[in-house]
Amino acid sequence: MSTSATTPGPHLAGDPAVIVARRFEDVVVGNEISRHNLLSRLSHWAVAVSFAVAMLSGMPIWTPVFGWMAHLFGGLSVCRLVHPWAGVAFFLFSVERFFQWLRDMHFRDPDVDWFRQRATKKGRAGIDDSQVGKYNGGQKLYFWAVSLGSIGLLVSGLVMWFPLYFPPLVRQLAFVIHDLTFICFAVSLVIHVFLSTAAEPGTFVSMSRGTVTRAWARLHHPRWYREVLSGERSRPT
Amino acid sequence: MVAQSLEIRRSSASVWGSLSGARSVATVAKYIDTTTCIGCKACEVACQEWNDLRPLATEQVGTYQTLPTLDAQYWNLIRFNELDFEGGLAWLMRKDQCMHCDDPGCLAACPAPGAIVQYENGIVDVNPDQCIGCKYCETGCPFDVPRFSRTTGKMAKCTLCVDRVSVGLEPACVKACPTGCLHFGTKEDMLVMGQTRVEQLKKDGFVQAAVYDPAGVHGTSVVTILAHGDHPEWYGLPSDPRVPFLVRVWKKFLRPFGGIAILGAVFGVVGHYMRHGPKSAYGADQDDSNLPLA
Repeated sequence: MSTSATTPGPHLAGDPAVIVARRFEDVVVGNEISRHNLLSRLSHWAVAVSFAVAMLSGMPIWTPVFGWMAHLFGGLSVCRLVHPWAGVAFFLFSVERFFQWLRDMHFRDPDVDWFRQRATKKGRAGIDDSQVGKYNGGQKLYFWAVSLGSIGLLVSGLVMWFPLYFPPLVRQLAFVIHDLTFICFAVSLVIHVFLSTAAEPGTFVSMSRGTVTRAWARLHHPRWYREVLSGERSRPT
Repeated sequence: MVAQSLEIRRSSASVWGSLSGARSVATVAKYIDTTTCIGCKACEVACQEWNDLRPLATEQVGTYQTLPTLDAQYWNLIRFNELDFEGGLAWLMRKDQCMHCDDPGCLAACPAPGAIVQYENGIVDVNPDQCIGCKYCETGCPFDVPRFSRTTGKMAKCTLCVDRVSVGLEPACVKACPTGCLHFGTKEDMLVMGQTRVEQLKKDGFVQAAVYDPAGVHGTSVVTILAHGDHPEWYGLPSDPRVPFLVRVWKKFLRPFGGIAILGAVFGVVGHYMRHGPKSAYGADQDDSNLPLA
C-alpha cells in the first residue's frame, strides 16, 4: 500500500489511489494527505448533527428570543420531545468519538508551548509552530472541553428530564449547570466553525473528503507533515 | 383553562401580559381559617366535582388524609398534620392547594409562552394548550404545588375556580364549606377579616396567631389564618417561601449573559477575520506532488 499510495505525480479527486488512501489516515497521495478516514468523519458529523438538533430544539426552550427555532421542528412541544433524545444521541456519539480520537489527544510539551507562545507573543509573527503534530494545543483543549462538557450536559439534562427523582436544590443546580455548559459550548462552537472554515482555508475538506493538501499540512501541522512523509505514522493495515 | 373575560397581568416566557390599563380589577383572595376547619373534606369533593376531576386510588398511611400529596387530578387536599403539643395532640388541618403567589415561581420558571398566566385579579392559571409538560414549574414553585399528569402530558393545579370567579361566583370549595372557615373576596377584605380573626384568637390564648401572607413571594391570593403563626412549618407551610435563588439566576442572569457571550463570539470571530484575515501560506494551494518525500 505504501508504495502505491506515495507515488509522486498529479492525483485528481477521482484517482483510484486517492480513493484507496481515504480509507486510511496519514497517507500521502500526490499533493494530498489523508487526515480523517471515513469512520472518523462519520463520527464527527454524527456528533455535529446530533448536537445541532439538540441545540436548535433546546434554545427555544431556553429563552423565547430563540422561539423561532421551534418552528424548525413543528413547535415548542415537539422540541420538548426531540431535545432530550437528541441530547442522548449526542452523548453516545461523543463517547464513540472520544475513544476514537483519544490516541492523538494527550497533552505533550509542544502543546504547552503552543499555548505559551499565544499568550506571550503578539500577532502571528514570531510564533514557531514547527513542533505542532496532528492536533495543536487548542484542538486538544477543545476535545477535552467538549468531552467533559458532554458529561455535564448529560447529567444536568437527566435531572431536568426526570426532576421528580431529585431534591429541589439538585434540580435548581441542574438548570444552572446545563445553561452554563451550553453557553461554553455555543461560544466554542462559533470559534470551532470559524477556524475550520473562513479562518483557515483548506481545513473543512479534511472533514468532508478527508484529505488536506501538503501545503496545508506543512503550514498548520508541520510535525505531523514530517511524520507522515517519513512514514513514522504509517500503521499496518 | 384560560378565562377569556380576564386580562392577563403576567404571562410565562413573555415580556408583557395583555393588560390594557383601561380598567382596574381588584386582586382577589381565598380566606382559609385553619382554626375552624373540621376536616370534613366537603371542599375536596366540591373541587373534584366542579373541575370534573377523576377520583384516585389512595393509600392508607395512618391518617385521615385523602391522599399522601396533591395530584394532577386532585388540586385541593386537606392535610391532617399531627403534632405532639404541650403534652397533648395538636391536629393542625390545612387546606393544601395553589397559593396563587403575587410573584409566582412556576410562571418564572416556565419556558412556554403563555402556558402559565397571572390574571389581572391575581389568579395564576395554566393553559394546557401551551403547556409542553417540561415540569420546570415544579422546580420554580416554593410550595410544591404543580403536578404533572402522565395521562395528559401537562401540568395541572388549582385555578382558584377562575371560570366561576370571572362570572361573579365564589370558588367551588368556598361554596361547599359548612363551617365558614373558607371565604372569598378581594384580597384587601380578606386581610381585614383575617386580622379580626387573629385578634379573637389572641384573646382566646393563641398569642402567636397570625395571617400567613408571605412577603417573600409578594403575598399570596390565599390568606391563611394560623393559630401557631410563628410555626408555619407545623402546618407544612414554608416559613419564608421565595422563588428559588438559582431559578432567578438561571432566568435573570444566565439568559442575557449567554446571549451576550454567544453574540460576542460571533462579533469576535468576524473582527478577527477582518483584522488578521485567513491563515494561509503563500502557495498553500500549490502542487507539491513532485517534492521529495523527506
